[in-house]
Amino acid sequence: MAETTPAVEICNLVKDFRTSFRGRPLRAVDGVSIRILPGEVYGLIGPNGSGKSTTMKALLGLLVPTAGQCAIFGKDSLRVDSRDDVGFLPENPYFYKHLSGVETLRFYGKLCGLAGRQLKDRVNELLALVGLEDARDRRLGGYSKGMLQRIGLAQALVQDPRLVILDEPTAGVDPVGSRQIRDLIFKLRERGITVFLCSHLLEQVQEVCDQVGIIFQGRMIREGRLDDLIAIEDQTEIVLRDARPDLVAQISVLVAETPGTTLVRTGKPRTTLERLFLREIREEQR
Amino acid sequence: MKSSLSKLRKRSHCRRILVISTHAFTQLARMKVFYFLAIFAGITLASNFFDLPQHAGPEAVGANVLSSIKSWSLGAMTLFSVVLSVVATALLLPKDVEDRTLYTILAKPVPRIDYLAGKLLGVLLLVFVSLALMDLLMVLALQIRTSMVVAEQAAMASAMGYTPDALASLRAETLANGPNGSLQGAVLVVFFRAAIMASLALLISTFSTSTLFTTIVSFAVYFIGHFQADARDFYLQAGQAGQGGFSRFASLAVSLVLPDFQLFNVIDAVIEGQALPWLMLGKIAFVGVYYALFFTLASWFIFADKEF
Repeated sequence: MAETTPAVEICNLVKDFRTSFRGRPLRAVDGVSIRILPGEVYGLIGPNGSGKSTTMKALLGLLVPTAGQCAIFGKDSLRVDSRDDVGFLPENPYFYKHLSGVETLRFYGKLCGLAGRQLKDRVNELLALVGLEDARDRRLGGYSKGMLQRIGLAQALVQDPRLVILDEPTAGVDPVGSRQIRDLIFKLRERGITVFLCSHLLEQVQEVCDQVGIIFQGRMIREGRLDDLIAIEDQTEIVLRDARPDLVAQISVLVAETPGTTLVRTGKPRTTLERLFLREIREEQR
Repeated sequence: MKSSLSKLRKRSHCRRILVISTHAFTQLARMKVFYFLAIFAGITLASNFFDLPQHAGPEAVGANVLSSIKSWSLGAMTLFSVVLSVVATALLLPKDVEDRTLYTILAKPVPRIDYLAGKLLGVLLLVFVSLALMDLLMVLALQIRTSMVVAEQAAMASAMGYTPDALASLRAETLANGPNGSLQGAVLVVFFRAAIMASLALLISTFSTSTLFTTIVSFAVYFIGHFQADARDFYLQAGQAGQGGFSRFASLAVSLVLPDFQLFNVIDAVIEGQALPWLMLGKIAFVGVYYALFFTLASWFIFADKEF
């Protein structure tokens, strides 16, 4: 039976911060409501300082809402047990430089109550998942930015949570590392894990998310299914492979003869700069 | 649907505190803090050469050097343990906030009191291990030197025609200055003082964001703690103004919040070869545990509502 309790339920969240002793409070989040069902990948996008991280911190109980409620699988976020099923990767995490990859995962695993064989197996499984088996015994002080993000993602997954919250998961990571993290998010989605990520990298969100919310100056200004939000309803796209020029001409004529229809554009679709970069790197490595 | 791992999780406050405390201990140990043991060893060895010239007689032979070893060693232990407990505690919390590792810990099902208690116990474990190692070095140096002094005194006293009773009395007097239970009690007193300072630094670091501020305020309280009893007594005895109910209440409140470190001066008596009564050690242990618990609970009170 499909689970009906939302993985995340944020109702009219308001968060004010005091700016100075007698100054007016700064409203960082203003009446934001978000509902994420189990298994969905939700992207919260917005410019810097729009309230994305504040919303996430309130959901994790790191901040107390000025008004409104946050719940994770039906449990109030201010309760410690609401974090039983959550994994969190903060923006630009540093972790403990004196620990190796294995020690880091063991530490977080033990905090979640894992022990013995079960912990050992889970650590090995996660190191394989994030591709850090070769660097397992290296101290985190020697990890690259991308490796730190991946070990961060592994620690977020250590107790096999049903919800993973990622705050700017690819910030400062090169395109190869960024692709690896996106592939990991795809893997999480395949395993039915709910993902709540925030980013200001729109292409990344477009690629991985089912649902999107746009937050600006603390207010949710648009929300819905990604396909619905970005589809241009009055246009249809046909992409042909190896089409001869005369075929394209015939199609253009056919369209021109059809009343009420306009040919907007023909030409070659373009790849993204990121895909070009990754392809060139891969070819160079061969 | 619960995941298979969630069914197998073993969770308890004690377990989580143990995980955080062993981690804090490892973190501090990997900052190479144990290097100061080399300095301590140097101090212990140097204290062997502080044998001041005395009047002739077997009683005076080596009497100074034993006191000197204890005095320098216990002094160094006090200095290292207090500095270590304050600086290490002041460092841990702000560093976790700055590196955002605190987010990853509190985003797990970890109550904030477990986090605080774990960090504090980690520092205390480090101080305890450090003191144990320093104690070992001190006892070793003192044992060797006591044996030498006893032999030297016995030879001189026999040559001077001391009776067997006088010889036994002299020997007992010298051994009282060697390694004994009171000396170990004095090391425990040093530990309890460090425990109070660590928990005080923990409290200050819950509302301070800088290691420097925490360190300075902690040492200021340490300094005040050595004089607060004198100042309080002076105030209470200074005319009728000090005899009122409010003054007595204020005095009691100050005692409850600020430790009186003069109580810990019993170490000086041990250095002079006097015994440390069990009752006094028990009282110091009670005071140490009381202030450590009081400051930790106050830290929790502030940290529980702190936003990150």
